[in-house]
Amino acid sequence: MGALDYIWLGIAAVFQGPELFSVAGVGISVTLVMILAGFLLGIVVGATPGLAGPMAMAISLPVLISIFGFTPDALLPVMGFLIGVMKGATIGGAVPAILFNTPGTPDAYMTTLDGHPMAQAGQAKKALKIAHVSSAAGDTFSDIVLILCAPFLAILVEAYLDLPEKTALLILSLAFIAAVIGGSVGKGIISMGLGLLAAYVATGEDFYPRLSLGSQTLAQGFPIATAILGVLILGEVFKSLEDLWRDHRSAGPRAEPGQSGDQALRWTDIRRIAPYIGRSAVIGTVIGALPGIGSTLAATLGYTAGSRRHARRRPGSTPFGKGAPEGIAATEAANSSVSGANLIPVLSLGIPGNAAAVFLILAAESIGGFNPGPSVFRFTADTVNPELVVAFGLFTAMMVANLLNWTIGGAFMRVVGVMIRVPKHILLPIVLTLTLTAIYVQEARISAMWFAIGFGILGYLMRRLGISHLPFVIAFILGGKLEDTARQAFAATGGDAWFLVTSPIAAVFMALAVAVVALSLRKPQEVKA
Amino acid sequence: MRTMLKSAVAALAGLVLATAAPASDWTPPGPVKLMIAFAAGGGADTQARLIAEDLEAKLGWSFIPEQVTGKGGMNLAMAIKDMPNDGSVIGMVVTETLGYNMRVADAGVTPDDFTAITTTAGFQMGVVSLASKGWTTFADVVEAAKSGEALRFGTMSPRLSDLAYLLGKANGVEFNIVQVKGGRAVMNGVNAGDMDLGFMAGIQGKGVAAGDLVNLASALSEPLKQTPEAPTFADLGVEFVADGYFTFIGPAGMPTEARDALAAAIAEAVSTEGMKSHGIIAKAFGGPAVIAGDELQALVAADFEAAGALLEAASE
Amino acid sequence: MTARTAIARTNLYLALGCIAFALMLAFLWIPLDTNSGLIEKVRRQVTIGDALAPTLAAFMIGLGGVLVLFQGRGAAQDGIGGRNLGFLARLLAGIAIAFALMRWTGPGVVWLAGLVSDQELTYRALRDTAPWKYLGFLTGGSFLIAALIAAVEGRVTGRTVVIAVCAVLVLIALYDLPFDDLLLPPNGDV
Repeated sequence: MGALDYIWLGIAAVFQGPELFSVAGVGISVTLVMILAGFLLGIVVGATPGLAGPMAMAISLPVLISIFGFTPDALLPVMGFLIGVMKGATIGGAVPAILFNTPGTPDAYMTTLDGHPMAQAGQAKKALKIAHVSSAAGDTFSDIVLILCAPFLAILVEAYLDLPEKTALLILSLAFIAAVIGGSVGKGIISMGLGLLAAYVATGEDFYPRLSLGSQTLAQGFPIATAILGVLILGEVFKSLEDLWRDHRSAGPRAEPGQSGDQALRWTDIRRIAPYIGRSAVIGTVIGALPGIGSTLAATLGYTAGSRRHARRRPGSTPFGKGAPEGIAATEAANSSVSGANLIPVLSLGIPGNAAAVFLILAAESIGGFNPGPSVFRFTADTVNPELVVAFGLFTAMMVANLLNWTIGGAFMRVVGVMIRVPKHILLPIVLTLTLTAIYVQEARISAMWFAIGFGILGYLMRRLGISHLPFVIAFILGGKLEDTARQAFAATGGDAWFLVTSPIAAVFMALAVAVVALSLRKPQEVKA
Repeated sequence: MRTMLKSAVAALAGLVLATAAPASDWTPPGPVKLMIAFAAGGGADTQARLIAEDLEAKLGWSFIPEQVTGKGGMNLAMAIKDMPNDGSVIGMVVTETLGYNMRVADAGVTPDDFTAITTTAGFQMGVVSLASKGWTTFADVVEAAKSGEALRFGTMSPRLSDLAYLLGKANGVEFNIVQVKGGRAVMNGVNAGDMDLGFMAGIQGKGVAAGDLVNLASALSEPLKQTPEAPTFADLGVEFVADGYFTFIGPAGMPTEARDALAAAIAEAVSTEGMKSHGIIAKAFGGPAVIAGDELQALVAADFEAAGALLEAASE
Repeated sequence: MTARTAIARTNLYLALGCIAFALMLAFLWIPLDTNSGLIEKVRRQVTIGDALAPTLAAFMIGLGGVLVLFQGRGAAQDGIGGRNLGFLARLLAGIAIAFALMRWTGPGVVWLAGLVSDQELTYRALRDTAPWKYLGFLTGGSFLIAALIAAVEGRVTGRTVVIAVCAVLVLIALYDLPFDDLLLPPNGDV
């Protein structure tokens, strides 16, 4: 079994997997259909303000698992669907940003700056086309980087990192996420500490479930879905509901500006925006490969870099912020190129970097048979390593989704503008009920819904207090792994208390972790009074 | 001749009982909640779900599977304890849950608080290492350890950690015992080189057949089916063994009729060629091993009692 | 009072709260509610006990609190005031009513049905049988959606109720009809 055999098996797993139906004698595999379905759903959800990719992933996950069951055969259809949602939501977010000046997803905020002025000037279709091409290009570039990098990184990790180094690497990732996300290091660390604490309730090695207060309700700990969906989704729903409740829905119906002129995307346009796309794609990919920073920062950086170049090179044309196509290109290429690269730490280290990656890990854990991490990329000689086949299947699924993006994404994107008309105050209560139901069908107890509500309130408070919730989510996911690895490293080294610093690699990781926190302490704080 | 006749009669009686029981009038009062103490997607979880599917297809009963994992099955035990005992809730754990784990957990319950229904299969628990290590038998491990190599021994439960410790002690060596969650984690650890050897309960089958992994010893009272020449724990001077079974339990005081009907139905599914659950048990767990009813109740009670001796031996 | 001092004060409370919570965790909750210490000696080997990881988590929360305390100014935010707590209280009350409806509508109706028809009916045996199994989810879920929409709109309209009921029916169609193994609330609890 060489690498090429595995790549071929992965492609075959997607295309020749279980058939759903056949067209003219050619079987259409269920995975392909799921990627398409996820992609279309993703565009719709991305185009709906108040919804986002992670929400759609959260809600569809229990349905998907029930359809496909807990067998390794379920992995590719389910994860293919999630990848489709991830990619669809990325391009969908630009639609309301351009048409209505309302970003569908947070990372599309920068798209409004130039997209909406273009729409007002009667160039909405062209703006959408530019957003689509840039987004698809950034996304594809990022995926190629992922496919080229992840296996090698994983093999390096597996070859050079022993248990103590793996522990140190987890600590470094958490330190990085806590220090870099959000405005304040202190708040990031609080968020991370709370996430770790929640992960440690009722887990551990003793038979007594620690910190469970002797209660049977807490004895199984907090199910992963309750903590993640609570903080990520219910927290956002509660906050938005309060805002709406206060404003009593002041926003009236929106008018779409009239359209005119040449809407076609010409070769000269593409030549014009290509340098911006390229630059932003690199920025987004680099940002994406670092766990936890996310697409909003990538969009900001891509836009800023593009803006500087634009002012310098093309002083005569429409400036950024006034309806420059280059502005849309710079933003969309940057935020779209995060998603692929974000899977580099997931697949090679098992460390999720953003909410979409969190749901891929959640899916893998719920279904079983695929444990994202360096052990996936074991190129076995005699036997087939099924996890590696799944990994290459995922890569294939991403490329299929990109193909869909290039071919039908643009056309579909232009028809989902109607989603803006769904009033948020009706949508949010439904999302709340949907999320609670999704949790109940997985856990089958009302106490789990209460846990989710509790985490939702925590997420709400964090949003009100300016504490980023992502360190919480990622710490919750990595907490158990961190403790297990540390215990194992400690036991494996025969009880060496200094196991984190005795090996040079581990010591470097630990030093970096301290340095990241210390440096972030010195960065200027965002004070916006 | 007499004994032969006797056993033939007994076997026949058993056969009649086994076929008669599902035909008895008992049917579950509504859907049966099936609690599973194993992580979703693993071999044990698949086994439980396939048994449910088999029974649904054959008897028309309806099962609702639900994961209640953690704490070596103790989470499931504590959750099922106070549920209705009319046969509408059953759970799948391992005998170790009601034995060693329940003893150590000291959570105020004993096997008497549960109804043991039936076992389905045993473990093919071996001490396994990578073939590339160059070890062919456990003596090579002892030799390597004695020459000063610090060896990491992967285990997946406190009981197995005790056994690993005693195995080392009996052979005059000390292992760094690394306890992880689940057999797959041991296999991944061994494959990645994070551990030198470890306990695997059947998951090693494919790797051993392919020549990537080696069964160095059997942790059972009898040799492994796949590698009969590997020494048993008794051969290696350890007086305790890791024998154990997957077992279905219910809350205490389940009516005998319900218990026996469930046991017979499950036993038939796992023992019948062509059933889905039989397939996976034959493939991954060395074939069905059925112990049911009072006999099983006595077995787990004995395990619970015997756990003290192992604890004491390992705490020296 | 300027917005800036309000933020500073919110951060001060947050910092002090985190430090107090961390101390309570490290010195009360964790020692009293774990079975093994920070480290332990088992089988002649020193191992990490169950208290270590939560204690480190507590340390992180406390450290974060200290950093916020000394850094003072954080990211822009609006803080938490009485109005926010009032909103949360109303929200929780609504959710509690919805969950109670989910839990008890089904058993209540079955009890009444038993009374009327003189049969011995239990909800537990009917928890996987239509239409009984939908009663709690339909009432509780519709109440939750309708109450939240009505709270934002400031009035209850027939349209709101219709939307809520339709949304719940869609959820039933999505999660229950296609699957045998999934249970809608509250059918896993009874």
